[in-house]
Amino acid sequence: MHKDNTIIICRCEEVTYSTLQETAKLHQCSARELKLRTRAGMGFCGGRTCRPILDRVIEDFIPNTTADAIPLKYQPPVRAVTFGTVGGSND
Amino acid sequence: MSEILIIGAGPAGLSGAIACAQHGLKVTIIDEFIKPGGRLLGQLHQEPSGEWWNGMKEAEKLINETKTLPIDIRCGVSVYNIERHDADWYVYTNEGVFESPYVLIATGAAEYAIPVPGWTLPGVMSIGASQVMTNVHRVQVGKKGIIIGANVLAFAILNELQMAGINIERVVLPAESPISKKESNPEEVLKILTEAGHLAPSALLRNGSKLMKIDSLRRMALKYFPKGGMKINGTPLQLKKAAIEIVGNEKVEGVKLATIDSQGNIISGTEKLYEADFVCIAGGLYPLAELAAVAGCPFKYIPQLGGHVPIHSKNMETPIPGMFVAGNITGIESGKIAMAQGTVAGLAIAMASQSNAKIDEQLQQALQKVEEVRTKSPIQFIPEIAEGRLAMERVWEKESNRGELERVIF
Amino acid sequence: MTRIVHHPILGSLNNRQKFSFVFNGQELEAYENETIAAALLANGIRTLRHHEESGSPRGFYCNIGHCMECRLTVNEQANVRACLTTVKPNMAVQSGKQHPNIVKRMVEENE
Repeated sequence: MHKDNTIIICRCEEVTYSTLQETAKLHQCSARELKLRTRAGMGFCGGRTCRPILDRVIEDFIPNTTADAIPLKYQPPVRAVTFGTVGGSND
Repeated sequence: MSEILIIGAGPAGLSGAIACAQHGLKVTIIDEFIKPGGRLLGQLHQEPSGEWWNGMKEAEKLINETKTLPIDIRCGVSVYNIERHDADWYVYTNEGVFESPYVLIATGAAEYAIPVPGWTLPGVMSIGASQVMTNVHRVQVGKKGIIIGANVLAFAILNELQMAGINIERVVLPAESPISKKESNPEEVLKILTEAGHLAPSALLRNGSKLMKIDSLRRMALKYFPKGGMKINGTPLQLKKAAIEIVGNEKVEGVKLATIDSQGNIISGTEKLYEADFVCIAGGLYPLAELAAVAGCPFKYIPQLGGHVPIHSKNMETPIPGMFVAGNITGIESGKIAMAQGTVAGLAIAMASQSNAKIDEQLQQALQKVEEVRTKSPIQFIPEIAEGRLAMERVWEKESNRGELERVIF
Repeated sequence: MTRIVHHPILGSLNNRQKFSFVFNGQELEAYENETIAAALLANGIRTLRHHEESGSPRGFYCNIGHCMECRLTVNEQANVRACLTTVKPNMAVQSGKQHPNIVKRMVEENE
C-alpha cells in the first residue's frame, strides 16, 4: 500500500484517496454528498475517467450500496459542452 | 430526419446501419472520432489459424458497404444528452439536435483506470491511447515504456506496439492499494491469464493452461516464476513486480517498482527506480453506457459482462421503447461479436418498423451467427462471458414478464 | 518522437501532405488528417497544458475524447480536445495555464 494514501483518484479536481476517506468518515455521507463535498467526479471530464474507481471507493466507505444500482446518477451533459451549445445559440 | 439514428460508428454501429438500410430504412450514424471505424481502427492481430485480423481493413469494408446504402455518417459529433418525447428520440450534440423514432446506442467500451501515484504526469496514458497513437495515427508514443496491469487487453496491445517497433521494457502489476483488487494479486492475475487462450502471453501458459487451472500447480508456478519475468516476444512479464509510483519532473522519467509475493504484498527494501519515458495503464474495459443511463434505461450489474450493462433482449432491444443497444455496451467481447450483434440490432429495428417473414428469417440467422462467432472466438476478454449473456437473458425474461403484468394491471 | 512510417502489416505511409501550424507561438509541422494530439507528440511535445488550479503538467491520457486532459485553445476557442480535432494549416493552438487564484493564496497565507 502506498504509505500516505495520496493517490489522486479524480484527476480533474485532484481529489486524493485520503480526502475521500476522511470526508466519508467525518460526515458519514451518501455517495452524492461525498461527491459534492470533495468535487470528485465533478471536474471537466464529468467522471469519465474516475467514476468506476469512485464507485468502488463508495462501496467500501458507504454501507448498503447495492451492486445493481449505480451509486452516482448519470446526468446530462455526458460530454463537456459550451453554454452556447446547450442554450441553442449554435443552431 | 432519419428513420434510425445510430450513436457510434464502430463495428456494431456500422453493421447495424448496413442491416437496417438494406431493408430501406434511412440511417444516420454519428461518432465523436475524426473518422468512422471505432476501435476496429486500432486492432491488429494474428488468429490461431494464421490469418490476420486487420481492423483497419475490416472498417474500410464496412464503410464501403455503407456508401451503397442510404446511410449518412457524421464524424466529430459528440452527444451530450438524449431524451424521448412522444414517439421520437431527441439526441443533443455539438452539431445540433438529431431526431429519430429509433436509436441504436453502440458506444462501445471505456477503459478502467488504475490510479497510481504520479499518474497525472504527461507520458502516462491508458493502454488504448497507445494503441490509437500507434496504429491509427502512426506516431511513436515513446522510446522506452512500461505497462502497468497484466490482462488480455494489455497483451493484445503489447503485441501491436511490438509490431510497430515500440519498445516496451516490461509489464508489471499495479501495487496493492486500498482501491486495487484482483489486478494487484499475482495469483489472481495468473488465473485470469490462463483463460486467455491463444493470447496468453507465453507458450507455457498457452500449452499448460489446463494444468494451470489447478490451484496448487498455479501456486507452484508462481513460486518458481522467474525473477526477471517471463519473456513475451522479448518483453518480460513480471508478475512479481509492482509499480509503486510513477516519477518525473514535468513528464515521466521512470517508475518505482518493488518486488511482491504471490499475494501481492510488497517486500520492503526492494524498491528500485526503472527508467521510462512513457507508461501505459491497462485496467481493462467496461461497457460505456452513460447515454442509456441518461435515457432512463434500467441496468443490471453483471461482472461476467464487464460491469453495469443496460438491460436488453437477445434481439438487442431495451425496455425503453425505440431504444436498441449493440456491441461492447452490452458486454466486453471482440469486434467480430460487435459486428454480429450490430446486424441483429439492425434487423430487429427493421422488424419493429415493418415486420415481415423475410426479415424475421434473417434475424434468426443473425442471432445464430452471434453464437457461432462467440464459440469460434479466439479472444475472450472475459472467460465467463457466455454465463454473463445467459444471466442477461434471464433478467430480460423477468423484466418482460413484469412488463406484461403491468400492462394487464394498468 | 518520430512517426511510424513503415509497418510490417499496415504498410508504409507515403505522399501525405505536410503543412505547418502554431503551438504556443512555435511553428510546427503536421500531416494532413491527423489529430492535434498526434501532431504535437510527433514534434516531441508531451505537455499539453497545466492544471488550472495546481499547475501540474498534463498530457493526453485516453486519446479518445473521454478524459478531457488534452483540452487546448484552438483558434481562440477554448477547451477543444486535441485527440479528436484534426489539425489544419496555420491553426493557432494554445495550451492552458495555471489560473492565478489570489483569494485562495490569501486564505492559505493566513491559515
